[in-house]
Amino acid sequence: MKILILNGSPKPSGSASEKLAEGLAQRLGNAEITMFNAMKTGKDEFVAQVNAIDALVVVFPLYVDGLPSHLLRLLDEAKGEIKSSARVYSIANNGFYEGQQNHLALEMMRHFSASSGMEWGQGLGVGAGGMVGVAPFGSGPMKNIGKALDKMAQNILNKQNGDDFYIQPNFPKFLYKMAAHRSWYSQAKGNGISRKGILRGD
Amino acid sequence: MKTLIIQDIDQNGIDVDLSKYTLFQMSERVKPCVGCFGCWIKTPGKCVIKDGDNVFLELMPKVDKVMVISKLTFGGFSPDIKGVFDRSIGFILPFFETVSGEMHHKQRYEKRPSLQYMFYGDNMTEAEKATAQKLVKANAVNLGAPDCSASFYATPDEILEGLK
Ligand SMILES: Cc1cc2nc3c(=O)[nH]c(=O)nc-3n(C[C@H](O)[C@H](O)[C@H](O)COP(=O)(O)O)c2cc1C
Repeated sequence: MKILILNGSPKPSGSASEKLAEGLAQRLGNAEITMFNAMKTGKDEFVAQVNAIDALVVVFPLYVDGLPSHLLRLLDEAKGEIKSSARVYSIANNGFYEGQQNHLALEMMRHFSASSGMEWGQGLGVGAGGMVGVAPFGSGPMKNIGKALDKMAQNILNKQNGDDFYIQPNFPKFLYKMAAHRSWYSQAKGNGISRKGILRGD
Repeated sequence: MKTLIIQDIDQNGIDVDLSKYTLFQMSERVKPCVGCFGCWIKTPGKCVIKDGDNVFLELMPKVDKVMVISKLTFGGFSPDIKGVFDRSIGFILPFFETVSGEMHHKQRYEKRPSLQYMFYGDNMTEAEKATAQKLVKANAVNLGAPDCSASFYATPDEILEGLK
């Protein structure tokens, strides 16, 4: 079985998308897996690969309730040239706590698979993306996410479809919020920006 | 009433008289957001990529309405317009607050534009249009817009006729 995992985060390394992609890949047994990064993949290379696989998995961050523009561009340019019987699966992760907020981006991924003649397999929305990777998938706050990756991997390997589903880490919302705020203050401080400076509105 | 228009119809500008609007001319291939969050923690409220497409964000707090004319793409914006929007999240603050039980960002500006999205395309499906209707509402919550709407047209000319 041949699988292409496309990473749609523009971050050069350490993205939540990359960690989710690796976690999923580890659960795909001895399938032949290729990983592409949408920032570094041209349309022709992408189309050629999609036309030769059984499953496409697009893993990306939620940007303004949709797909990051570089990923959108790649999928939009490719859609007319894809001739593939691959199923499409997708994992979106977002900054807000609720994984459910990825639902429109997953709808957009469905529209991509319909317009390129592929079958929609399943979508997963992961909330509180800033936490992805704080523990190994399957344990502690990453327990739910590990289980969700298990479920999607099974569907991919069995060439099955599943309902879209949404999760967040096993971690309270108020603590996620506190941790995020502390992190913004400390990152800004590192750039010489005060608490007041973050709020500037000129 | 000041309206800022961003459109993907014509790179060279539109030839009907739209002088009553503020027209934003984006570049031919808008550079994507790189996810650095510099617009929150390095140059608050400004995109760190200074190539002209960063100016949209700086215009947003100065207008009453943002009007988007876009080819409907998978139920949302076309890639260049999406690039400009991705690079405009400095419009809001990094801090979280809860709006009707869901987490969203605090607003940077008191005055915020309403959002009017006008989509065109020849093969728009009902499902894609339904996504776009939900998109404008979700964007309006995140950008604190006082009002929003999405509408659909077979051709860009139909939209331009209506704006004259
Ligand atoms: C331009 C931009 C737009 C974003 N828009 C949203 C959004 O609409 N909703 C949300 O919950 N998070 C949003 N986020 C947060 C990202 O989805 C979040 O940081 C994610 O974990 C990044 O994933 P990555 O590490 O795989 O790139 C946005 C981030 C950026 C840079």
